[in-house]
Amino acid sequence: MKIEMKNIRKSFGSNDVLKEVTLSVQGGEICALLGENGAGKSTLMNILGGVLPMDSGSILIDEKEVAFETPVDSQEAGIAFIHQELNLINDLPIYENMFLGREIKTKRGSLDLKQMYDKTAAIFEQMNVELDPGKMVRDLDASYKQIVEICRAMMTNASIIIMDEPTTSLTDTEIERVFAMMRTLKENNVGIIFISHKLNEVKEICNRYIVLRDGNLVSVGNVSDVTKNDLASYMVGFDVRTESLRRVTGNEEVGKEVLRVEGLTDSRHYRDINFSIRAGEIVGITGLLGDGRSELFQAIFGADHYASGKIILEGQEVTIKSTSQAIKKGIAYLPRNRKENAILKDMDIIENASVVTWSMFSKRGVINSSRHKRLFKEQRDSLRIKMGEMTDSITSLSGGNQQKVVLSKWLAANPKVLILDNPTQGVDVGAKEDIYDIILKLANENIAIVVLSSEAQEIIRVCDRALVMYHGVIQGEVRDEMMNEQTIMRLATGGELGEEKGVHQL
Amino acid sequence: MIPNKQHNLENASPGKKTFIGWFKHKWSNDPLFSILIALIIMVILQTLTLGFDYNSFGEWFQSWTNNWINILRNNAGIGIVALGMTFVIMTGGIDLSVGSTLVITGAFAMYLLDTGAQGILGAVGITGVPAIILTVILVLAFGYMLGALIGVSITKGMVPPFIATLGAMMIFRSVTQHFAQGYNTKVPVEFLQISSFKIGNFMIMPIIYWAIIAFIMYYVSKRTTFGRQIIAVGSNERAAKLSGVNINKVKLRVYALMGLLVSVAAIIQVSRIGSMDFSNAGRGMEMDAIAAAVVGGTNMLGGRGFILGTVYGMLIIAVMNNLLNLFGVPPFLREAFKGVIVIVAVLLQRKEKTA
Repeated sequence: MKIEMKNIRKSFGSNDVLKEVTLSVQGGEICALLGENGAGKSTLMNILGGVLPMDSGSILIDEKEVAFETPVDSQEAGIAFIHQELNLINDLPIYENMFLGREIKTKRGSLDLKQMYDKTAAIFEQMNVELDPGKMVRDLDASYKQIVEICRAMMTNASIIIMDEPTTSLTDTEIERVFAMMRTLKENNVGIIFISHKLNEVKEICNRYIVLRDGNLVSVGNVSDVTKNDLASYMVGFDVRTESLRRVTGNEEVGKEVLRVEGLTDSRHYRDINFSIRAGEIVGITGLLGDGRSELFQAIFGADHYASGKIILEGQEVTIKSTSQAIKKGIAYLPRNRKENAILKDMDIIENASVVTWSMFSKRGVINSSRHKRLFKEQRDSLRIKMGEMTDSITSLSGGNQQKVVLSKWLAANPKVLILDNPTQGVDVGAKEDIYDIILKLANENIAIVVLSSEAQEIIRVCDRALVMYHGVIQGEVRDEMMNEQTIMRLATGGELGEEKGVHQL
Repeated sequence: MIPNKQHNLENASPGKKTFIGWFKHKWSNDPLFSILIALIIMVILQTLTLGFDYNSFGEWFQSWTNNWINILRNNAGIGIVALGMTFVIMTGGIDLSVGSTLVITGAFAMYLLDTGAQGILGAVGITGVPAIILTVILVLAFGYMLGALIGVSITKGMVPPFIATLGAMMIFRSVTQHFAQGYNTKVPVEFLQISSFKIGNFMIMPIIYWAIIAFIMYYVSKRTTFGRQIIAVGSNERAAKLSGVNINKVKLRVYALMGLLVSVAAIIQVSRIGSMDFSNAGRGMEMDAIAAAVVGGTNMLGGRGFILGTVYGMLIIAVMNNLLNLFGVPPFLREAFKGVIVIVAVLLQRKEKTA
């Protein structure tokens, strides 16, 4: 099957989102669709998925023109759209999710659970997925949810699958799992449109690429003909750095110890954690999903409880029972999954940027809005936040700018320790670089910074040293030339620092 | 800086020059605008229905004013409760217990004040104005405490608000009815002054209380840490917690405030009528308060709510009751109209969003 989109135009109001975009995708190829947030990728794919109408242009399937008015039209034509926010119902088992909206019924009209279960098991077997179809979706990790979605698409005999940033919330092993599945699909002559910000992945899995910038098609070609730097510069329109930003320090340039943790344990997620962080240092914490790093730092931040161990802040042992206490003591935590954990969708930009400091700046409970505004104006400029009015809704901003607003609310609190959990999640290349710059600048201002990330590259790029976690324990520490993707991956999968031999390359 | 300018241009473009342009802009951007329009239409309708069958403008105006004072006074208590309900709903919760809290705090007031054998304050020798002042303080404290108790069961006990307040609703009324059965309390005449004191020729004290509380609540919701934290909690509880908002404290205070406001309503009611029917007073009050909040644009899922909107909502419902009265609609049918208003109001707000 071959899909062609010709001269697609789309505008929202006076804003031209797509300007005459033409592309084609065939079965058996994996085509990367690249571009910064706001480049028009989602709009283009929503048009292909029947979610949005186009203003002009045409869509052809095998040379025949088609019109998609609803998502159902698109699905029936063999196009499956796997959205970034997965469309699975957590409270139903996998096999019922597989048949949502297309339930198999018995003659008497009740659900034919057995047949649904069996068909699910059959497709899992065909796709080499080891999963119990009776498991609740709630209990699956992100990669398996993705895989369930892919299997669901396969069940509808999709011949083109659109995957919108499928790997953002996945760890490296999980990504491998999804990639293995994508390769199987490719062999079965299914075409995949792969939307991603991760150029490594594009190089690894895709054979063709399409780059959009500001609604224009800027480049199309074979992935093997270009380098990652080429792709990155097509996306942003200028050259992007990928080398380490680590400062060449004499190692002792950083300040005195700010945070020390001794024997921190909670019964489920992490055990016997010991580390120490000094002012001005950027320490990475990495590992695979389920390594317990988020839980560990949420406990240090007072959002969750820990069972035993000591937290020592600037030489004094502290017990932190609530997030507000942690903030008063100078700890800040920028959470992962911005939408669920950080964005107050009903509030405007300035409020999202000042929620942390409301009570800090207030006089007798009255919010000091002029001080918040003054502070945010400075931050808007220094963090380079692209926005309209301060009183616009937070949801009017792109992902990168939302993240900067979230960051600004923490900077307003003047933290001594800044914990950043997946700080560049769902952020485009340009904003990512901005955020790295900000991190380095803050470290220079003597803030102790902890970066939690499952992207080894990110850790290598910004951190002075990194602790690698594996199943709730710190497996090892890497720094300098030891800080490379191979060593980190070895530690994250349970290997030891010493064993140099016998490690397979990923 | 550049996006700033673009934004301004965009905002200014749908002509504030023409009335229609301004109207359209307001209609789609100001969530309270459609509610206000609805209220204005109803007031015009009501004025027309009242007619102009008078000898002079003065006479007409007096009649119109009296009608309005009646409407406002009759709805002051529930209007105050609806303000508290708005806060509760904004946190993503609900309070079904308000009617029963009204009864139990009302009964408490009457027992404190009673000039007969059961009077608690009388028994310890406190009478007159000190008794009245003390009663007001104690009743407010009692209401606050009951609300806080509900708040504790919701926050520390993690009982869902619907369940916690459903339980409280049953407990408070049942306890009141049991202990108050057969007693006939007499409230001192001075206490009645709280509601019946006349300013000029008008008995408008309840309206003044309502207005003052509405103003305070408006200020709190717009300008204070507490008010904005309510929205933060209702909008995204997890994000609020991770931003250092003490979620439990916010919720506890919201329910305690609700209890306090209900006790204000109880004082108004007891001082207006001089008695309270413990088995019927406040029945359905929770639904009326929720209806006023919802008509006023408050989102039942939390995160969005307007004190001013709730005042409008309350007035719309009140004026509609008045209209139905003037039209002579049979009493049993009136509830149906209220139902229609609630649904239509929410439909209107839906439309706004998609437009």
